[in-house]
Formats: sequence, C-alpha cells, structure tokens
Amino acid sequence: MGKVCVLGAGSTKYGKLEDSITDIALQASVSAIESAGIESKEIKSGYISNVFGVADKQVHLGPVIMSNLGISDKPSLSIESACGSGSVSFREAYANVAAGFYDVVLVTGVEKVTHTGTEWTTTYFSYCSDFFYEGQAGVSFPGLFASMARAYITEFNASEEDFAAVAVKNHENGLLNPKAHLRKKITIDDVMNSAVVASPLKLYDCCPFSDGASAVIICSEKFAKQQGGDYVEVIGSGRGGSPAALQGRDHITTIPSTKIAADAAYKMANITSKDIDFAEVHDCFTIAEVVDTEDLGFFEKGKGIDAIRNGVTKLNGQLPINPSGGLKSKGHPIGATGVGQVVEVYDQLTGNAGERTVNDAKIGLTQNFGATGASCAVHIFQSV
Amino acid sequence: MRFIYFKVCKLTIKDEFIANAKQGKILARKCKNCNDLNLVTVYFCKKCGKREFENTILDGNGVIVTYTIMTVPPSGFETFSPYAWVVMKLEGHNLNISGFLANIDKPADLPIGTAVKIIDFDKRGLVLEKR
Repeated sequence: MGKVCVLGAGSTKYGKLEDSITDIALQASVSAIESAGIESKEIKSGYISNVFGVADKQVHLGPVIMSNLGISDKPSLSIESACGSGSVSFREAYANVAAGFYDVVLVTGVEKVTHTGTEWTTTYFSYCSDFFYEGQAGVSFPGLFASMARAYITEFNASEEDFAAVAVKNHENGLLNPKAHLRKKITIDDVMNSAVVASPLKLYDCCPFSDGASAVIICSEKFAKQQGGDYVEVIGSGRGGSPAALQGRDHITTIPSTKIAADAAYKMANITSKDIDFAEVHDCFTIAEVVDTEDLGFFEKGKGIDAIRNGVTKLNGQLPINPSGGLKSKGHPIGATGVGQVVEVYDQLTGNAGERTVNDAKIGLTQNFGATGASCAVHIFQSV
Repeated sequence: MRFIYFKVCKLTIKDEFIANAKQGKILARKCKNCNDLNLVTVYFCKKCGKREFENTILDGNGVIVTYTIMTVPPSGFETFSPYAWVVMKLEGHNLNISGFLANIDKPADLPIGTAVKIIDFDKRGLVLEKR
C-alpha cells in the first residue's frame, strides 16, 4: 500500500443554513480544491457521504456534485452509514488511493435537515437504530445514549454534573471556532437547568441538529510532494462493528466498534494511544465523549470521567479532546461530521486552527461512529 | 407443531417473536453447536458462526440493566408519556432484551435491578411491566 496524504480541506459553517444540500456540498468541495491548490480536473473520483438527502429532494448526490465541478465523466460513490457516514467515505477514498486505483480523490460529506423541524429529525434519525428492537419501542437517540449514561453513572459513580463538564469544555473550544454551530459559553448550571430530553440527559448534553458540509482532497504521497503545498499523512485507518442494538452488547458502557477500529489504526500506524497529541471524537452526547476516550485507550474504563473532572481533555490540558468544539458545539450535520473531523485535524497540523491551536501537536486522531456505535472508523494523521 | 404452523401460515420469524411476546415469552434461538442463545432474528450464531439452531421459548422475566425516561418522545409516542425505554436481562439466561415500560416518570420509579416481565407486543414494540 502506498502512503496517502490529505492535501486540502474545507468546510461550510455548521448550523442552520439557507442554501440547498447541493449548494453547500459544492461550497465545501470548492473550498477543499482551492485549499489543495489543484484544479478539479485532477480529481479522479468522488466519495460523497450523506444520510437524509431525501429531506432536501436530492439523493444520488455523487454525480450531481461531480457534474457541477465540471468533471461529470469522473466516477463517484454515495455513502450512507448513519452519523458515521463521513469517516466511512474517507476510509473508502483512503483505501482506493492506498491501493493505487486513483492518485487524487475528493471526499465530501453533507447534511441538510434543520428545515424539517425537530420532530421530523428526531423520528427519522431513530431509523438509524436497530428499529425492530429500539426505535419501534419509542426510544430516540438521546434516549439510547441516556441509557448508556444511566449505566455509566451506576457502574462508575459518576454524576450528571460530570457529564455537564464535557458540554462546558466543548463549548469553550467551539467559541474559538468561527464555523461552529453553537458559539456560546455555558456553565455547569446552564446544562443542569436545561430541559430534560431523556433522563439523565438534558438539552445541553445533546449535540444540535445541524446543516453543513465538509470536504477534503486526499492523494498519493508522490502527488502531494509534487504539488508542494501543506499536507498531512494518514498513518492509520481502522474500522469496526458492534451489535446494532444496545441489548446485544456485553457492556452497555463500551462501544466495541471503537476498540476494534482503534486497535487496527494504532497497529497500522505502529503507535499506541499514548502517542496521540489530540483527538476529534464522536461526542453526539456528553456521555459519548467519556466512553470514546476510554474505548480509544486514552483512559482506563471508568476513568474517562476523572479526565473531565481534572481538565486533562481541555484545550490546554495534557490530551485535548475536540479542540473544534466537537459535535456538541461545532455541530453535527450527520453526513459531514466524519469529514469535518479530518478538516479540523488538517487545520491543526498545518497551522490553520487559529486561537484553538493545540500546542506542539504532531499526531491527531479522528473517531466517528454511526448510531450508538454500531459502526465506527478511526483515522490517525501525522504532520509532515 | 410450531414449525408446521410457520410453514402453512407463512408467519415470519418476527411474527412468531411477536406472537410469543404477546404471551409474555421470548422466542430465542439456541445454537445446536455451542448452546449460545441468540436473538431470533439472527441467521448465524454470534459465538461460533454455525447456523443450526433450535427455537427456544424463554420466560419473559428479567431485571433492569439500564433505562431512560423518554421526556421528549419520538413521533407517535406523545400520548404514551410518561414512559421508559429499558434494557432487561432475562432471568437465568445470558440474553438481554429491550422494550417499552409505561408510567415511569422519575428515576426513583425504576432503580437498576428492578424486576420486570414482558406482557405484550403492540404498536409500542415489546411491552414490559414491573413485577
């Protein structure tokens, strides 16, 4: 396998956007192309992740995006893997470049749902669960993660205030990110006093429904060197699976797919979790960030909550988690999120993260999962 | 007998699962090779990978492993509030199953470990109640 690099990256702002799903996907794609310093005609294939294109009257997004980039003759693949779609798309693109099928490809993730309203989105997102056992019995995604939170509180003596601290931290980071959806400083009290959505999770424990698009250009090392601009190397890539329904898991507070994906990515990169300088993880709900940091091997099981209490994962802590603001503050356009994490790592490792720059970072990790972690992908990047 | 009924009436396996749940039972699949209990919707054993099963009907008694109280319910469930969605461990078996539990509006109503049983399967999915 050849070495693969991220040569350029771009995102729209995340939030409630007025433009169509196609327009925002194109805005991010063009931004990535400009960041890479290439012409669209150099792209050999497109990988487009999206979940609810039907909500904005456009599915089969790949050819529509390629056509509007002036490269209608180039193949594309449209990918759905719930909230983990972006990282799956990135992985497929990575694998094709590593295998030598293409030297330059576009990865674009996009979602446009806020115009449908909270009831539509909550209901349609629940179709990402194992519906026969979960959605059909009246549980939403906040409810599924609330069940994980309840189990974590019981098993590890954590408190709701501990989870609230995750939200406070990610909002602090998001305040420094001009493209974040919720740019607002919040306190533990704000979280604790927000409306209960699914006990023990409250509104401020939950990421928002967001519109947005993110895109990256990835290429062979040879192409990156010839191009001459900033690039980062992909040194690890792993995917994993879990029982689709929570009832099928041996431990409610562990997401097996994260552990499997992380093990594969660390092995490929020939490093351990101790070598990671910062990570963008899937914090769709505050409990998820705690579980993620344990499953990725950063902290022992049950100790992720101590890391939050002690400030270890803050921007200036020993291991910054979600410097972008994460899904919680940056926002969660579900088809775009996994690609957006790569955009953040690219910006961090190429000196384009502004005020939220992680000091002396050389190696960054992304972890993005679908549903309650039924599918997961982990990628590791190194500055060049 | 059940097998014949299944063939003649073309009941899907989910229909059979539902018919049992309405009687307060869980229809599961026991692997003939390794005895592992699998959910009835599974085609290959999750433990050993074989696909020879015998259907097993289990008592629907269990205890709460975890749960949430759905304050903001999805579309169609508004009229059922307050309710909980729970994961229960079946008594005497290494098998968890999740479902709907009515009339729960605060955590004190449902400590972890509370004894519950399956009573029905309807438009709320698998329905449980406290024992």
